[in-house]
Amino acid sequence: MQDLLELAVGATASGCIYGLIALAYLLMIRPTGIINFAVGEWAMVASFGGFVFLTKYEWPYPLGMAVVVAFMMGVGWATERIAVRPLVEKGASLLAPILALLGVLVVTREVISVSFPPDPLPVPFPFGIGRLELFGIGASYQNVFIIVVTLTVFAGTWFFFEQTLWGKSFEAVSLNRRAAALMGINLPRVTAVSFAGGAGAAGLAGLLVSPNISAHYLMGVPLAIQGFTALVIGGVGRVEGALLGGLLLAFAEQLTARYAPIPSGYTQGVPLLFLMIFLLVRPTGLLRARA
Amino acid sequence: MKRIAWVAGFIVLAALPFFLGSYHNDVYRKLLLWITLALGYNFLFGICGQVAFSHFAFYGIGAYSVVILLFQFNLPLPVAIVLGVVICAGIALVVAIPATRLEGFYLALVTLALAQLFIVVLNEGGNVTGGTGGIANYRLPPIFGWRIAGPPYTLVIVGLLAATFALLWRLDHSWFGRACRALRDNPEAAAAMGVDVARTKVIVFTLTSALAGIAGMVYAFVDNTVNPPIFGLDNAFLILFMVIVGGAGRHAGAVIGATLLFLLPFWLSPLVGHHHQLIFGVLVVAAILAQPKGLIGLWDRFSK
Repeated sequence: MQDLLELAVGATASGCIYGLIALAYLLMIRPTGIINFAVGEWAMVASFGGFVFLTKYEWPYPLGMAVVVAFMMGVGWATERIAVRPLVEKGASLLAPILALLGVLVVTREVISVSFPPDPLPVPFPFGIGRLELFGIGASYQNVFIIVVTLTVFAGTWFFFEQTLWGKSFEAVSLNRRAAALMGINLPRVTAVSFAGGAGAAGLAGLLVSPNISAHYLMGVPLAIQGFTALVIGGVGRVEGALLGGLLLAFAEQLTARYAPIPSGYTQGVPLLFLMIFLLVRPTGLLRARA
Repeated sequence: MKRIAWVAGFIVLAALPFFLGSYHNDVYRKLLLWITLALGYNFLFGICGQVAFSHFAFYGIGAYSVVILLFQFNLPLPVAIVLGVVICAGIALVVAIPATRLEGFYLALVTLALAQLFIVVLNEGGNVTGGTGGIANYRLPPIFGWRIAGPPYTLVIVGLLAATFALLWRLDHSWFGRACRALRDNPEAAAAMGVDVARTKVIVFTLTSALAGIAGMVYAFVDNTVNPPIFGLDNAFLILFMVIVGGAGRHAGAVIGATLLFLLPFWLSPLVGHHHQLIFGVLVVAAILAQPKGLIGLWDRFSK
Protein backbone atom coordinates (compact mmCIF):
# COMPACT_ATOMS: atom_id res chain seq x y z
CA MET A 1 0.00 0.00 0.00
CA GLN A 2 2.75 2.40 1.00
CA ASP A 3 4.58 1.34 -2.13
CA LEU A 4 1.55 2.30 -4.19
CA LEU A 5 1.21 5.67 -2.45
CA GLU A 6 4.85 6.56 -3.05
CA LEU A 7 4.42 5.53 -6.67
CA ALA A 8 1.43 7.88 -6.75
CA VAL A 9 3.57 10.81 -5.55
CA GLY A 10 6.18 10.14 -8.24
CA ALA A 11 3.49 9.76 -10.89
CA THR A 12 1.83 13.01 -9.78
CA ALA A 13 5.14 14.84 -10.15
CA SER A 14 5.80 13.55 -13.67
CA GLY A 15 2.15 14.17 -14.49
CA CYS A 16 2.69 17.80 -13.48
CA ILE A 17 5.62 18.07 -15.89
CA TYR A 18 3.51 16.65 -18.74
CA GLY A 19 0.71 18.99 -17.69
CA LEU A 20 2.97 22.04 -17.94
CA ILE A 21 4.08 21.04 -21.44
CA ALA A 22 0.45 20.40 -22.40
CA LEU A 23 -0.38 23.86 -21.03
CA ALA A 24 2.32 25.32 -23.26
CA TYR A 25 0.70 23.72 -26.33
CA LEU A 26 -2.73 24.79 -25.16
CA LEU A 27 -1.79 28.45 -24.66
CA MET A 28 -0.68 28.63 -28.31
CA ILE A 29 -3.35 26.39 -29.87
CA ARG A 30 -6.31 28.16 -28.30
CA PRO A 31 -5.91 31.58 -29.90
CA THR A 32 -4.02 30.58 -33.08
CA GLY A 33 -4.72 26.93 -33.90
CA ILE A 34 -0.97 26.40 -34.28
CA ILE A 35 0.49 23.17 -32.90
CA ASN A 36 4.03 24.05 -31.91
CA PHE A 37 6.22 20.98 -31.49
CA ALA A 38 9.16 23.17 -30.52
CA VAL A 39 7.83 23.26 -26.91
CA GLY A 40 9.94 20.20 -26.13
CA GLU A 41 13.02 22.06 -27.38
CA TRP A 42 12.04 25.08 -25.29
CA ALA A 43 11.98 22.85 -22.20
CA MET A 44 15.41 21.59 -23.27
CA VAL A 45 16.77 25.13 -23.70
CA ALA A 46 15.49 26.08 -20.24
CA SER A 47 17.23 23.12 -18.64
CA PHE A 48 20.48 24.26 -20.28
CA GLY A 49 19.69 27.71 -18.89
CA GLY A 50 19.44 26.02 -15.49
CA PHE A 51 22.86 24.47 -16.08
CA VAL A 52 24.42 27.82 -17.04
CA PHE A 53 22.95 30.01 -14.30
CA LEU A 54 22.54 27.55 -11.43
CA THR A 55 25.39 25.05 -11.90
CA LYS A 56 28.03 27.15 -13.64
CA TYR A 57 27.48 30.61 -12.16
CA GLU A 58 25.82 29.29 -8.97
CA TRP A 59 23.18 31.99 -8.82
CA PRO A 60 20.60 31.68 -6.03
CA TYR A 61 17.80 29.38 -7.20
CA PRO A 62 14.86 31.87 -7.24
CA LEU A 63 16.90 34.43 -9.21
CA GLY A 64 18.20 31.83 -11.69
CA MET A 65 14.71 30.40 -12.12
CA ALA A 66 13.21 33.85 -12.75
CA VAL A 67 15.92 34.72 -15.28
CA VAL A 68 15.49 31.42 -17.14
CA VAL A 69 11.70 31.73 -17.33
CA ALA A 70 11.96 35.37 -18.44
CA PHE A 71 14.54 34.40 -21.06
CA MET A 72 12.26 31.63 -22.34
CA MET A 73 9.36 34.07 -22.65
CA GLY A 74 11.68 36.22 -24.76
CA VAL A 75 12.51 33.19 -26.90
CA GLY A 76 8.80 32.48 -27.39
CA TRP A 77 8.11 36.08 -28.30
CA ALA A 78 11.01 36.16 -30.77
CA THR A 79 9.92 32.84 -32.33
CA GLU A 80 6.47 34.25 -32.94
CA ARG A 81 7.96 37.38 -34.50
CA ILE A 82 10.36 35.52 -36.81
CA ALA A 83 8.61 32.31 -37.81
CA VAL A 84 4.87 32.85 -37.28
CA ARG A 85 3.80 36.47 -37.73
CA PRO A 86 5.16 36.97 -41.28
CA LEU A 87 3.21 33.87 -42.40
CA VAL A 88 0.00 34.94 -40.68
CA GLU A 89 0.28 38.41 -42.21
CA LYS A 90 0.83 36.87 -45.66
CA GLY A 91 -2.35 34.86 -45.20
CA ALA A 92 -0.55 31.52 -45.57
CA SER A 93 -2.41 28.35 -44.56
CA LEU A 94 -2.26 27.16 -40.96
CA LEU A 95 0.12 24.40 -42.01
CA ALA A 96 2.87 26.88 -43.00
CA PRO A 97 3.67 28.14 -39.46
CA ILE A 98 3.42 24.57 -38.09
CA LEU A 99 6.05 23.41 -40.60
CA ALA A 100 8.18 26.53 -40.03
CA LEU A 101 8.15 25.75 -36.30
CA LEU A 102 9.39 22.22 -37.08
CA GLY A 103 12.33 23.92 -38.77
CA VAL A 104 12.78 26.11 -35.68
CA LEU A 105 12.75 22.92 -33.58
CA VAL A 106 15.69 21.50 -35.51
CA VAL A 107 17.57 24.81 -35.45
CA THR A 108 17.08 25.17 -31.68
CA ARG A 109 18.28 21.65 -30.98
CA GLU A 110 21.32 21.99 -33.21
CA VAL A 111 22.30 25.38 -31.78
CA ILE A 112 22.33 23.82 -28.30
CA SER A 113 24.20 20.73 -29.52
CA VAL A 114 26.86 22.98 -31.13
CA SER A 115 27.19 25.21 -28.06
CA PHE A 116 27.43 22.62 -25.27
CA PRO A 117 29.33 19.36 -24.74
CA PRO A 118 27.32 16.27 -25.77
CA ASP A 119 27.20 14.64 -22.32
CA PRO A 120 24.23 15.16 -19.96
CA LEU A 121 24.90 18.25 -17.81
CA PRO A 122 23.86 18.49 -14.14
CA VAL A 123 21.26 20.97 -12.89
CA PRO A 124 21.02 21.41 -9.10
CA PHE A 125 18.03 20.56 -6.90
CA PRO A 126 16.62 23.73 -5.31
CA PHE A 127 16.26 22.04 -1.91
CA GLY A 128 18.92 19.34 -2.11
CA ILE A 129 18.09 15.65 -2.46
CA GLY A 130 16.34 15.08 0.86
CA ARG A 131 12.98 13.39 1.40
CA LEU A 132 9.92 14.71 3.09
CA GLU A 133 7.98 12.28 5.36
CA LEU A 134 4.29 13.09 5.46
CA PHE A 135 1.67 10.72 6.93
CA GLY A 136 4.15 7.89 6.54
CA ILE A 137 4.64 8.53 2.82
CA GLY A 138 8.08 9.55 1.62
CA ALA A 139 8.32 12.15 -1.14
CA SER A 140 11.49 13.73 -2.45
CA TYR A 141 11.79 17.51 -2.04
CA GLN A 142 12.00 17.88 -5.80
CA ASN A 143 8.70 16.05 -6.38
CA VAL A 144 6.94 18.21 -3.80
CA PHE A 145 8.47 21.32 -5.38
CA ILE A 146 7.32 20.25 -8.86
CA ILE A 147 3.77 19.64 -7.64
CA VAL A 148 3.55 22.96 -5.75
CA VAL A 149 4.95 25.04 -8.63
CA THR A 150 2.70 23.35 -11.19
CA LEU A 151 -0.43 23.83 -9.10
CA THR A 152 0.49 27.51 -8.66
CA VAL A 153 0.97 27.96 -12.39
CA PHE A 154 -2.32 26.26 -13.22
CA ALA A 155 -4.18 28.27 -10.58
CA GLY A 156 -2.65 31.46 -11.99
CA THR A 157 -3.56 30.51 -15.57
CA TRP A 158 -7.09 29.61 -14.53
CA PHE A 159 -7.43 32.95 -12.75
CA PHE A 160 -6.04 34.76 -15.80
CA PHE A 161 -8.56 33.21 -18.18
CA GLU A 162 -11.58 33.36 -15.90
CA GLN A 163 -11.13 36.60 -14.00
CA THR A 164 -9.14 39.12 -16.04
CA LEU A 165 -10.10 41.15 -19.07
CA TRP A 166 -6.90 40.06 -20.81
CA GLY A 167 -7.84 36.42 -20.32
CA LYS A 168 -11.32 37.07 -21.65
CA SER A 169 -9.84 38.61 -24.78
CA PHE A 170 -7.82 35.39 -25.28
CA GLU A 171 -11.01 33.37 -25.02
CA ALA A 172 -12.73 35.68 -27.47
CA VAL A 173 -9.92 35.18 -29.98
CA SER A 174 -10.06 31.41 -29.63
CA LEU A 175 -13.82 31.44 -30.18
CA ASN A 176 -13.86 33.68 -33.23
CA ARG A 177 -10.81 35.52 -34.54
CA ARG A 178 -12.68 37.83 -36.89
CA ALA A 179 -15.29 38.88 -34.40
CA ALA A 180 -12.62 39.42 -31.74
CA ALA A 181 -10.62 41.63 -34.10
CA LEU A 182 -13.75 43.61 -34.93
CA MET A 183 -14.37 44.13 -31.22
CA GLY A 184 -11.02 45.89 -31.01
CA ILE A 185 -8.86 43.06 -29.67
CA ASN A 186 -5.28 43.32 -30.88
CA LEU A 187 -4.76 39.92 -32.55
CA PRO A 188 -0.98 40.15 -33.09
CA ARG A 189 -0.47 41.07 -29.45
CA VAL A 190 -2.61 38.15 -28.24
CA THR A 191 -0.58 35.80 -30.47
CA ALA A 192 2.74 37.20 -29.21
CA VAL A 193 1.65 36.88 -25.57
CA SER A 194 0.40 33.34 -26.12
CA PHE A 195 3.79 32.30 -27.54
CA ALA A 196 5.64 34.02 -24.70
CA GLY A 197 3.41 32.30 -22.15
CA GLY A 198 3.75 28.94 -23.88
CA ALA A 199 7.53 29.22 -23.89
CA GLY A 200 7.45 30.25 -20.21
CA ALA A 201 5.36 27.19 -19.24
CA ALA A 202 7.52 24.84 -21.32
CA GLY A 203 10.68 26.40 -19.87
CA LEU A 204 9.41 25.91 -16.35
CA ALA A 205 8.73 22.24 -17.12
CA GLY A 206 12.27 21.84 -18.46
CA LEU A 207 13.81 23.52 -15.44
CA LEU A 208 11.77 21.42 -12.99
CA VAL A 209 12.49 18.09 -14.68
CA SER A 210 16.19 18.70 -15.37
CA PRO A 211 17.62 17.94 -11.88
CA ASN A 212 16.22 14.41 -12.21
CA ILE A 213 17.19 13.66 -15.80
CA SER A 214 20.06 16.17 -16.45
CA ALA A 215 20.19 18.64 -19.34
CA HIS A 216 20.72 16.90 -22.67
CA TYR A 217 20.14 18.19 -26.18
CA LEU A 218 17.99 15.21 -27.16
CA MET A 219 15.56 15.50 -24.23
CA GLY A 220 13.10 17.70 -26.15
CA VAL A 221 11.24 15.35 -28.50
CA PRO A 222 10.16 12.80 -25.84
CA LEU A 223 8.86 15.66 -23.66
CA ALA A 224 7.07 17.16 -26.66
CA ILE A 225 5.33 13.84 -27.38
CA GLN A 226 4.38 13.16 -23.75
CA GLY A 227 3.06 16.70 -23.32
CA PHE A 228 1.10 16.43 -26.52
CA THR A 229 -0.38 13.10 -25.42
CA ALA A 230 -1.45 14.75 -22.17
CA LEU A 231 -3.09 17.53 -24.17
CA VAL A 232 -4.92 15.07 -26.41
CA ILE A 233 -6.20 13.11 -23.39
CA GLY A 234 -7.35 16.23 -21.58
CA GLY A 235 -8.63 18.09 -24.62
CA VAL A 236 -7.80 21.61 -25.74
CA GLY A 237 -11.11 22.98 -24.50
CA ARG A 238 -10.14 23.75 -20.91
CA VAL A 239 -7.01 24.66 -19.00
CA GLU A 240 -7.54 22.03 -16.29
CA GLY A 241 -7.73 19.40 -19.03
CA ALA A 242 -3.99 19.77 -19.62
CA LEU A 243 -3.19 18.91 -15.99
CA LEU A 244 -5.73 16.09 -15.86
CA GLY A 245 -4.33 14.62 -19.08
CA GLY A 246 -0.79 14.83 -17.74
CA LEU A 247 -1.73 13.08 -14.51
CA LEU A 248 -3.68 10.31 -16.28
CA LEU A 249 -0.78 9.70 -18.66
CA ALA A 250 1.82 9.60 -15.88
CA PHE A 251 -0.26 7.19 -13.76
CA ALA A 252 -0.84 4.93 -16.77
CA GLU A 253 2.89 4.93 -17.50
CA GLN A 254 4.03 4.26 -13.95
CA LEU A 255 1.39 1.62 -13.21
CA THR A 256 2.19 -0.35 -16.37
CA ALA A 257 5.90 -0.03 -15.65
CA ARG A 258 5.38 -1.45 -12.16
CA TYR A 259 2.59 -3.99 -12.54
CA ALA A 260 2.02 -4.94 -16.18
CA PRO A 261 3.68 -8.21 -17.23
CA ILE A 262 5.48 -6.73 -20.25
CA PRO A 263 9.21 -6.13 -20.81
CA SER A 264 10.27 -2.82 -19.26
CA GLY A 265 11.35 -1.31 -22.59
CA TYR A 266 7.82 -1.56 -23.92
CA THR A 267 6.57 0.87 -21.28
CA GLN A 268 8.07 3.65 -23.46
CA GLY A 269 5.34 2.68 -25.91
CA VAL A 270 2.51 3.36 -23.43
CA PRO A 271 2.21 7.13 -24.10
CA LEU A 272 2.45 6.47 -27.84
CA LEU A 273 -0.36 3.92 -27.73
CA PHE A 274 -2.40 6.33 -25.59
CA LEU A 275 -1.80 9.09 -28.13
CA MET A 276 -2.85 6.92 -31.08
CA ILE A 277 -5.92 5.51 -29.35
CA PHE A 278 -7.13 8.90 -28.16
CA LEU A 279 -6.52 10.57 -31.51
CA LEU A 280 -8.34 7.81 -33.35
CA VAL A 281 -11.20 7.24 -30.92
CA ARG A 282 -11.74 10.43 -28.97
CA PRO A 283 -9.86 13.31 -30.59
CA THR A 284 -11.63 15.98 -28.54
CA GLY A 285 -10.24 14.70 -25.26
CA LEU A 286 -12.00 13.85 -22.02
CA LEU A 287 -13.20 17.32 -21.06
CA ARG A 288 -15.59 19.27 -23.23
CA ALA A 289 -15.04 22.96 -23.85
CA ARG A 290 -17.07 25.18 -21.58
CA ALA A 291 -19.78 26.90 -23.55
CA MET B 1 10.64 13.77 -78.73
CA LYS B 2 9.85 14.03 -75.04
CA ARG B 3 9.71 10.26 -74.73
CA ILE B 4 13.18 9.99 -76.26
CA ALA B 5 14.52 12.42 -73.63
CA TRP B 6 13.00 10.31 -70.83
CA VAL B 7 14.47 7.10 -72.26
CA ALA B 8 17.88 8.77 -72.70
CA GLY B 9 17.76 9.99 -69.09
CA PHE B 10 16.92 6.48 -67.89
CA ILE B 11 19.80 5.01 -69.89
CA VAL B 12 22.26 7.52 -68.38
CA LEU B 13 21.05 6.72 -64.85
CA ALA B 14 21.24 2.98 -65.59
CA ALA B 15 24.70 3.13 -67.18
CA LEU B 16 26.26 5.30 -64.47
CA PRO B 17 26.82 2.56 -61.81
CA PHE B 18 29.05 0.59 -64.20
CA PHE B 19 31.48 3.53 -64.30
CA LEU B 20 31.52 4.15 -60.55
CA GLY B 21 33.69 2.52 -57.90
CA SER B 22 32.14 0.63 -55.01
CA TYR B 23 32.10 3.64 -52.67
CA HIS B 24 30.44 5.90 -55.21
CA ASN B 25 28.05 3.10 -56.13
CA ASP B 26 26.99 3.03 -52.48
CA VAL B 27 26.45 6.82 -52.39
CA TYR B 28 24.60 6.64 -55.71
CA ARG B 29 22.29 3.87 -54.48
CA LYS B 30 21.34 5.82 -51.37
CA LEU B 31 20.77 8.96 -53.41
CA LEU B 32 18.43 7.05 -55.72
CA LEU B 33 16.55 5.61 -52.74
CA TRP B 34 16.16 9.07 -51.15
CA ILE B 35 14.80 10.41 -54.44
CA THR B 36 12.36 7.49 -54.62
CA LEU B 37 11.20 8.21 -51.07
CA ALA B 38 10.93 11.95 -51.71
CA LEU B 39 8.83 11.36 -54.84
CA GLY B 40 6.39 9.24 -52.85
CA TYR B 41 6.30 11.69 -49.97
CA ASN B 42 5.79 14.57 -52.36
CA PHE B 43 2.67 12.84 -53.69
CA LEU B 44 1.32 12.47 -50.15
CA PHE B 45 2.38 15.86 -48.77
CA GLY B 46 2.89 18.10 -51.78
CA ILE B 47 0.13 16.92 -54.10
CA CYS B 48 -2.47 15.59 -51.66
CA GLY B 49 -1.64 17.95 -48.76
CA GLN B 50 -1.35 15.25 -46.05
CA VAL B 51 1.43 15.66 -43.48
CA ALA B 52 2.65 12.32 -42.12
CA PHE B 53 5.76 11.40 -40.17
CA SER B 54 5.48 7.70 -40.91
CA HIS B 55 6.97 7.65 -44.41
CA PHE B 56 10.41 6.72 -43.15
CA ALA B 57 8.93 4.27 -40.63
CA PHE B 58 7.27 2.42 -43.54
CA TYR B 59 10.65 2.35 -45.28
CA GLY B 60 11.89 0.63 -42.11
CA ILE B 61 8.86 -1.66 -41.85
CA GLY B 62 9.51 -2.78 -45.43
CA ALA B 63 13.20 -3.39 -44.77
CA TYR B 64 12.68 -5.23 -41.50
CA SER B 65 9.74 -7.32 -42.71
CA VAL B 66 11.56 -8.62 -45.78
CA VAL B 67 14.65 -9.50 -43.71
CA ILE B 68 12.63 -11.15 -40.93
CA LEU B 69 10.43 -13.09 -43.35
CA LEU B 70 13.45 -14.27 -45.35
CA PHE B 71 15.89 -15.16 -42.61
CA GLN B 72 13.81 -15.77 -39.46
CA PHE B 73 10.90 -17.55 -41.14
CA ASN B 74 12.91 -18.84 -44.13
CA LEU B 75 10.28 -17.92 -46.70
CA PRO B 76 11.20 -17.74 -50.41
CA LEU B 77 12.02 -14.25 -51.75
CA PRO B 78 8.86 -13.63 -53.85
CA VAL B 79 6.61 -14.64 -50.94
CA ALA B 80 8.58 -12.41 -48.56
CA ILE B 81 8.27 -9.42 -50.91
CA VAL B 82 4.53 -9.86 -51.42
CA LEU B 83 3.94 -10.38 -47.68
CA GLY B 84 6.09 -7.33 -46.91
CA VAL B 85 3.96 -5.13 -49.19
CA VAL B 86 0.81 -6.58 -47.59
CA ILE B 87 2.15 -5.76 -44.11
CA CYS B 88 2.97 -2.15 -45.07
CA ALA B 89 -0.35 -1.58 -46.79
CA GLY B 90 -2.22 -3.25 -43.91
CA ILE B 91 -0.62 -1.06 -41.23
CA ALA B 92 -1.16 2.03 -43.41
CA LEU B 93 -4.86 1.18 -43.81
CA VAL B 94 -5.36 0.60 -40.08
CA VAL B 95 -3.87 4.02 -39.33
CA ALA B 96 -5.35 5.94 -42.26
CA ILE B 97 -8.98 4.87 -42.18
CA PRO B 98 -9.76 6.43 -38.77
CA ALA B 99 -7.18 9.23 -39.01
CA THR B 100 -8.36 10.69 -42.31
CA ARG B 101 -11.92 11.05 -41.04
CA LEU B 102 -10.56 13.81 -38.80
CA GLU B 103 -9.59 17.24 -39.98
CA GLY B 104 -6.28 18.99 -40.11
CA PHE B 105 -3.13 17.85 -38.47
CA TYR B 106 -4.37 14.58 -36.93
CA LEU B 107 -2.73 12.27 -39.47
CA ALA B 108 0.62 13.91 -38.68
CA LEU B 109 0.17 13.25 -34.95
CA VAL B 110 -1.01 9.66 -35.30
CA THR B 111 1.83 8.87 -37.67
CA LEU B 112 4.35 10.57 -35.36
CA ALA B 113 3.23 8.20 -32.62
CA LEU B 114 3.36 5.27 -35.06
CA ALA B 115 6.93 6.14 -36.09
CA GLN B 116 8.05 6.31 -32.45
CA LEU B 117 6.20 3.11 -31.58
CA PHE B 118 7.95 1.35 -34.45
CA ILE B 119 11.34 2.25 -32.95
CA VAL B 120 10.24 0.98 -29.51
CA VAL B 121 9.13 -2.31 -31.06
CA LEU B 122 12.44 -2.63 -32.93
CA ASN B 123 14.47 -2.02 -29.77
CA GLU B 124 12.43 -4.44 -27.67
CA GLY B 125 11.76 -7.09 -30.30
CA GLY B 126 14.34 -9.51 -28.90
CA ASN B 127 15.52 -12.17 -31.33
CA VAL B 128 12.93 -11.35 -33.98
CA THR B 129 14.15 -7.80 -34.67
CA GLY B 130 17.61 -8.22 -33.17
CA GLY B 131 17.00 -5.51 -30.54
CA THR B 132 19.12 -2.36 -30.53
CA GLY B 133 21.80 -4.01 -32.69
CA GLY B 134 19.37 -4.89 -35.46
CA ILE B 135 20.01 -7.70 -37.92
CA ALA B 136 23.20 -7.99 -39.96
CA ASN B 137 25.27 -10.54 -41.88
CA TYR B 138 22.66 -11.65 -44.37
CA ARG B 139 22.77 -11.61 -48.14
CA LEU B 140 20.23 -11.34 -50.91
CA PRO B 141 19.20 -14.90 -51.81
CA PRO B 142 19.99 -15.97 -55.39
CA ILE B 143 17.33 -15.41 -58.02
CA PHE B 144 17.31 -18.23 -60.62
CA GLY B 145 20.76 -19.18 -59.40
CA TRP B 146 22.14 -15.65 -59.86
CA ARG B 147 23.24 -13.57 -56.89
CA ILE B 148 22.71 -9.91 -57.75
CA ALA B 149 25.41 -7.69 -56.27
CA GLY B 150 27.53 -4.68 -57.21
CA PRO B 151 26.47 -2.44 -60.13
CA PRO B 152 23.63 -4.77 -61.26
CA TYR B 153 22.00 -4.27 -57.86
CA THR B 154 22.28 -0.49 -58.40
CA LEU B 155 20.42 -1.17 -61.64
CA VAL B 156 17.59 -2.71 -59.61
CA ILE B 157 17.34 0.58 -57.68
CA VAL B 158 17.32 2.62 -60.89
CA GLY B 159 14.45 0.40 -62.03
CA LEU B 160 12.63 0.98 -58.73
CA LEU B 161 13.03 4.75 -59.08
CA ALA B 162 11.85 4.70 -62.69
CA ALA B 163 8.82 2.53 -61.85
CA THR B 164 7.89 4.69 -58.84
CA PHE B 165 8.24 7.86 -60.89
CA ALA B 166 6.25 6.47 -63.82
CA LEU B 167 3.43 5.35 -61.51
CA LEU B 168 3.23 8.65 -59.63
CA TRP B 169 3.51 10.67 -62.84
CA ARG B 170 0.64 8.75 -64.46
CA LEU B 171 -1.47 9.09 -61.31
CA ASP B 172 -0.71 12.81 -61.06
CA HIS B 173 -1.80 13.35 -64.65
CA SER B 174 -5.03 11.39 -64.27
CA TRP B 175 -8.35 12.41 -62.71
CA PHE B 176 -7.01 10.98 -59.45
CA GLY B 177 -4.11 13.47 -59.32
CA ARG B 178 -6.49 16.33 -60.00
CA ALA B 179 -8.79 15.08 -57.23
CA CYS B 180 -5.80 15.04 -54.86
CA ARG B 181 -4.81 18.60 -55.72
CA ALA B 182 -8.39 19.74 -55.40
CA LEU B 183 -8.77 18.30 -51.92
CA ARG B 184 -5.42 19.76 -50.88
CA ASP B 185 -6.48 23.25 -51.91
CA ASN B 186 -10.02 23.15 -50.63
CA PRO B 187 -11.54 19.95 -49.20
CA GLU B 188 -15.09 21.33 -49.06
CA ALA B 189 -14.99 22.43 -52.69
CA ALA B 190 -13.49 19.07 -53.71
CA ALA B 191 -16.26 17.20 -51.89
CA ALA B 192 -18.84 19.40 -53.60
CA MET B 193 -17.27 18.50 -56.96
CA GLY B 194 -17.86 14.83 -56.21
CA VAL B 195 -14.45 13.82 -54.84
CA ASP B 196 -14.71 11.24 -52.05
CA VAL B 197 -12.31 13.09 -49.73
CA ALA B 198 -11.80 10.40 -47.08
CA ARG B 199 -11.36 7.59 -49.60
CA THR B 200 -8.89 9.57 -51.71
CA LYS B 201 -6.79 10.37 -48.62
CA VAL B 202 -6.78 6.72 -47.51
CA ILE B 203 -5.77 5.51 -50.98
CA VAL B 204 -2.93 8.04 -51.27
CA PHE B 205 -1.61 7.33 -47.77
CA THR B 206 -1.74 3.56 -48.29
CA LEU B 207 -0.19 3.73 -51.75
CA THR B 208 2.70 6.02 -50.79
CA SER B 209 3.35 4.04 -47.60
CA ALA B 210 3.49 0.81 -49.58
CA LEU B 211 5.88 2.46 -52.07
CA ALA B 212 8.09 3.53 -49.15
CA GLY B 213 7.94 -0.06 -47.87
CA ILE B 214 9.07 -1.43 -51.25
CA ALA B 215 11.96 1.05 -51.30
CA GLY B 216 12.84 -0.17 -47.80
CA MET B 217 12.92 -3.79 -49.01
CA VAL B 218 15.40 -2.79 -51.68
CA TYR B 219 17.39 -0.79 -49.12
CA ALA B 220 17.67 -3.87 -46.85
CA PHE B 221 20.23 -5.32 -49.30
CA VAL B 222 22.20 -2.10 -49.84
CA ASP B 223 23.97 -2.09 -46.48
CA ASN B 224 22.99 -5.69 -45.65
CA THR B 225 22.12 -4.55 -42.16
CA VAL B 226 18.99 -3.08 -40.58
CA ASN B 227 19.04 -1.40 -37.17
CA PRO B 228 16.77 1.00 -35.26
CA PRO B 229 18.80 4.26 -35.50
CA ILE B 230 18.54 4.26 -39.32
CA PHE B 231 14.76 4.55 -39.17
CA GLY B 232 14.49 7.20 -36.43
CA LEU B 233 12.57 10.45 -36.37
CA ASP B 234 15.48 12.53 -37.73
CA ASN B 235 15.07 10.99 -41.15
CA ALA B 236 11.29 11.39 -41.02
CA PHE B 237 11.89 15.13 -40.61
CA LEU B 238 14.56 15.09 -43.30
CA ILE B 239 12.20 13.68 -45.92
CA LEU B 240 9.69 16.43 -45.11
CA PHE B 241 12.45 19.05 -45.35
CA MET B 242 13.61 17.68 -48.71
CA VAL B 243 10.18 18.14 -50.22
CA ILE B 244 9.69 21.62 -48.70
CA VAL B 245 13.12 22.91 -49.78
CA GLY B 246 12.83 21.43 -53.28
CA GLY B 247 9.27 22.59 -53.81
CA ALA B 248 6.18 20.76 -52.55
CA GLY B 249 3.77 19.50 -55.16
CA ARG B 250 6.30 19.21 -57.99
CA HIS B 251 8.09 15.97 -58.93
CA ALA B 252 11.15 17.95 -60.04
CA GLY B 253 11.08 19.74 -56.68
CA ALA B 254 11.21 16.45 -54.81
CA VAL B 255 14.16 15.30 -56.94
CA ILE B 256 16.06 18.57 -56.42
CA GLY B 257 15.33 18.69 -52.68
CA ALA B 258 16.34 15.07 -52.11
CA THR B 259 19.51 15.43 -54.17
CA LEU B 260 20.53 18.68 -52.48
CA LEU B 261 19.87 17.64 -48.87
CA PHE B 262 21.41 14.20 -49.43
CA LEU B 263 24.61 15.56 -51.00
CA LEU B 264 24.93 18.69 -48.83
CA PRO B 265 26.38 16.86 -45.79
CA PHE B 266 29.20 15.46 -47.98
CA TRP B 267 30.25 18.99 -48.98
CA LEU B 268 29.52 20.58 -45.62
CA SER B 269 31.21 18.07 -43.35
CA PRO B 270 34.69 19.66 -43.69
CA LEU B 271 33.14 22.98 -42.66
CA VAL B 272 30.56 22.12 -40.00
CA GLY B 273 31.23 18.49 -39.07
CA HIS B 274 28.04 16.68 -38.12
CA HIS B 275 26.01 19.83 -37.64
CA HIS B 276 24.55 19.99 -41.16
CA GLN B 277 21.09 19.58 -39.56
CA LEU B 278 21.41 23.17 -38.35
CA ILE B 279 21.75 24.33 -41.95
CA PHE B 280 18.80 22.14 -43.03
CA GLY B 281 16.64 23.74 -40.34
CA VAL B 282 17.60 27.25 -41.43
CA LEU B 283 16.95 26.31 -45.07
CA VAL B 284 13.47 25.03 -44.24
CA VAL B 285 12.47 28.09 -42.23
CA ALA B 286 13.87 30.35 -44.96
CA ALA B 287 12.05 28.39 -47.68
CA ILE B 288 8.69 28.58 -45.90
CA LEU B 289 9.08 32.27 -45.11
CA ALA B 290 10.60 33.53 -48.35
CA GLN B 291 9.98 30.95 -51.05
CA PRO B 292 7.03 28.64 -50.27
CA LYS B 293 7.33 27.08 -53.74
CA GLY B 294 10.87 25.91 -52.93
CA LEU B 295 13.90 25.84 -55.19
CA ILE B 296 11.84 24.80 -58.18
CA GLY B 297 9.80 27.98 -57.66
CA LEU B 298 13.02 30.01 -57.79
CA TRP B 299 13.98 28.22 -61.00
CA ASP B 300 10.61 29.02 -62.54
CA ARG B 301 11.02 32.68 -61.71
CA PHE B 302 14.47 32.95 -63.29
CA SER B 303 13.79 30.85 -66.35
CA LYS B 304 10.85 33.05 -67.39
